[in-house]
Amino acid sequence: MTDALLELRGIDKRFPGVRALKDAQFDVRPGEVHALIGENGAGKSTLIKIVSGVYQPDSGEIMLDGAQVEFGNPRESHSAGIATIYQELGLYPELSVAENIFMGHAPTRKRLGFNTIDWEAMEAEAEALLAELNIHNLDVGAMVGTLNVGNRQRVEIAKALSLDARILIMDEPTAALTESDVEQLFSIVRLLRERGVSIIYISHRLNEVFELADRVTVLRDGEYIGTKNVAETDEAELISMMVGRTIKNLFPKQAAHIGEVVLEARKLNRPPLTRDISFSVRAGEIVGLAGLVGSGRSETAQVIFGVLPAESGEIRLNGQAVRITRPSEAVDYGIGYVPEDRGHQGLIREMTIRENTSMAVLESVSSRSFISRAKERALANGAIRQLSIRATGPDQIANKLSGGNQQKVVVSKWLASSPKLLIMDEPTRGIDVGAKAEIHRLMSRLAAQDGLAILMISSELPEILAMSDRILVMREGRLVGEFTREEATQENIAHAMMSEEARQAAGAAL
Amino acid sequence: MQETTPAPRNPTVSEKLRRLIISQEGVLFLIMLASVLFLATRTDKFLTVDNLLQQGRFMTEIGLIAIPMTYIIITGGIDLSVGSILGLAAIVLGWTWQELGFPLELAIITAIISGTVAGFVNGLFIVRVGVPPLIMTLATLALYRGLAEGISEARSARGYPEWFFQLGQGEFLGIPTQLWLLIFAVIIFGIVLARTRLGRALYAIGNNETGARFSGLTVNRHLLFIYTFSGFMSAVAGYIFVSRVSTTRSDMGTGMELDVIAAVVLGGTSIFGGAGSVPGTIIGVVLIQLLKNGLVLAGVTSDATIVVIGSVLIFAILVNNFIQSRRGEG
Repeated sequence: MTDALLELRGIDKRFPGVRALKDAQFDVRPGEVHALIGENGAGKSTLIKIVSGVYQPDSGEIMLDGAQVEFGNPRESHSAGIATIYQELGLYPELSVAENIFMGHAPTRKRLGFNTIDWEAMEAEAEALLAELNIHNLDVGAMVGTLNVGNRQRVEIAKALSLDARILIMDEPTAALTESDVEQLFSIVRLLRERGVSIIYISHRLNEVFELADRVTVLRDGEYIGTKNVAETDEAELISMMVGRTIKNLFPKQAAHIGEVVLEARKLNRPPLTRDISFSVRAGEIVGLAGLVGSGRSETAQVIFGVLPAESGEIRLNGQAVRITRPSEAVDYGIGYVPEDRGHQGLIREMTIRENTSMAVLESVSSRSFISRAKERALANGAIRQLSIRATGPDQIANKLSGGNQQKVVVSKWLASSPKLLIMDEPTRGIDVGAKAEIHRLMSRLAAQDGLAILMISSELPEILAMSDRILVMREGRLVGEFTREEATQENIAHAMMSEEARQAAGAAL
Repeated sequence: MQETTPAPRNPTVSEKLRRLIISQEGVLFLIMLASVLFLATRTDKFLTVDNLLQQGRFMTEIGLIAIPMTYIIITGGIDLSVGSILGLAAIVLGWTWQELGFPLELAIITAIISGTVAGFVNGLFIVRVGVPPLIMTLATLALYRGLAEGISEARSARGYPEWFFQLGQGEFLGIPTQLWLLIFAVIIFGIVLARTRLGRALYAIGNNETGARFSGLTVNRHLLFIYTFSGFMSAVAGYIFVSRVSTTRSDMGTGMELDVIAAVVLGGTSIFGGAGSVPGTIIGVVLIQLLKNGLVLAGVTSDATIVVIGSVLIFAILVNNFIQSRRGEG
């Protein structure tokens, strides 16, 4: 770590209910492209927000040019030469390209004793900046609102350069771009690297990492996993770093009696992320659904739950064909869904534990549409005991609970509805190890004792391997693999998750 | 913060009382009481049974519309078209009776149905097309008023039979007839909001619509219902309005939406959704009405009255914010 321009060490950051980063580290050298990768919730965004001064770390140090610095706000990070290009671009659509580039630091000249904006100089400098980036087809007088996403991004990059940025952070820069825009972006990135600008490149598209980056750092669950020279690694290794954690204290799954088919999906279609999906889940069975981010796992779950109703295909529950067009229908058919985004989709955080646990079963705690507080309280107290939710009582606001306990409240909401099928989307993401083991124990018991059919989506292969009776793998909206518990290994699942090109490359190497 | 879990126990009477007084509604009620006592010292015409009952008559229309408005604002929505729906219903009543020759009973029913349909249309576009409530009801604020003016052709209907005025000008057991209606509506819909599944769903939608949907609540159906309900109540208020003033004009209820929203927000309903109550709203309605009346009786000019009312609104909201935030820490 001798020649680092920027270095972060031992960074810790907590939010209410989550530990976003623990002991994370990262460094970037002058003139390199350093990719930062990891699954959703791995802590990438938190880390770059610390670099750009949006968040302050709870502990740890940031070194710039070998000297310790503190960024109390984005402005301080800016003036240290760090610029960020966010997923949602921070431009003013009603202003021109030149005005956007020089927002806040426009060239001025004295006129009648006043400092006024020197429009000619501004446009000329804007043109010069764009020319440096090999961009010649962009009118500096055009309104930014009329530009396409690729051009807006170029304006944003030019703006960063006009501020003499030495470090440029790009957060998922290709997420919204067309193919030709992506190519142009790559050539700009290479140009910048040649000029000695350091680039922190965040993506979960591994092919971009191999195409652009010099080094790559992997985060997982807020922890630093490792940094590799891109030339010395391959896709398989990065995938296993991203998803292949060995969980300590992993709860051993109980053997369960596998019964009748509960859910049968036949040729479900809702492009682009659910294509021709057919599979089944039996009573007492835990089916793991693996795949990389963006492979369509959550979308498929939401097709079954009616959030994104299927365009074609058939869903059968206990042998009966059903039509599910909205979540309320799915709930009526006995499906529960513990969503990936706990705070937004799973819980109503402003409301109490009592109100959250009864949310899906209001009918059964009321008589003639009057809610019985007593029944609700009994339900919530039961959930608190059964799932050992650590709370002051049923009337505590859900938002005041830790992440793991919030997740238990979401699970208890669905258990109250006595579902036949429970879909759990990343059931243990972002919660601490203890709560994780408790959730695993609970899942195992529900399947073994109550004969519940569970479809579990997870980005952690060890979790998939430990909990599932059967494992399905998705890629690009399709089911591409199925493994029994016995035949599944970290390697063959990771291999199935990989893109076609990567597999060919891996095959050629063998 | 309590770290250990205390054994669940029922709060004592004095604790309950304390909680009630420092609640949003409690604070507002005390402010109302203080205002009443102050106004009573300024003029002896204010604090009389007759005057107060008369004020009850005047505030019924706003009170009736404020109930569904509370529901709507709790879900994070808004309905700006209520005043226009009131005007439309009033015009439909007069026009179908006088111009189309409907029996008056049928004219009343037609008017209420028109208002209900107008509310349903609001809800339909908000739910199905996804037009934001503010935009949709701003559009129908103009549209329904325009319809009313087009139908009325600037003529006013009058000459209603005697029985028609019972609701707007009569009394029952010594209390203005329409005030009974308001009292019943407040009790029933207050309980519906506080105690039933419908009420719970509205709070859930207002706090987190996605979360409500993902919990299997029928969000769209609830939203459609409350906007329709708002149209219905506005039309009923329109009928009462016509009965009270004995005539029908197309500009009835102009600007009323702002009075209604002011009362609801003053009553502690969060404009961002998720919190609020019918009792709070009704205290807001009463407070504004008593201030208007008391200040006029005390000889304050009408311009100054508006300024005072505005100031009291701001003061009440500040005091409440202060107390509620302190309560959150305690």
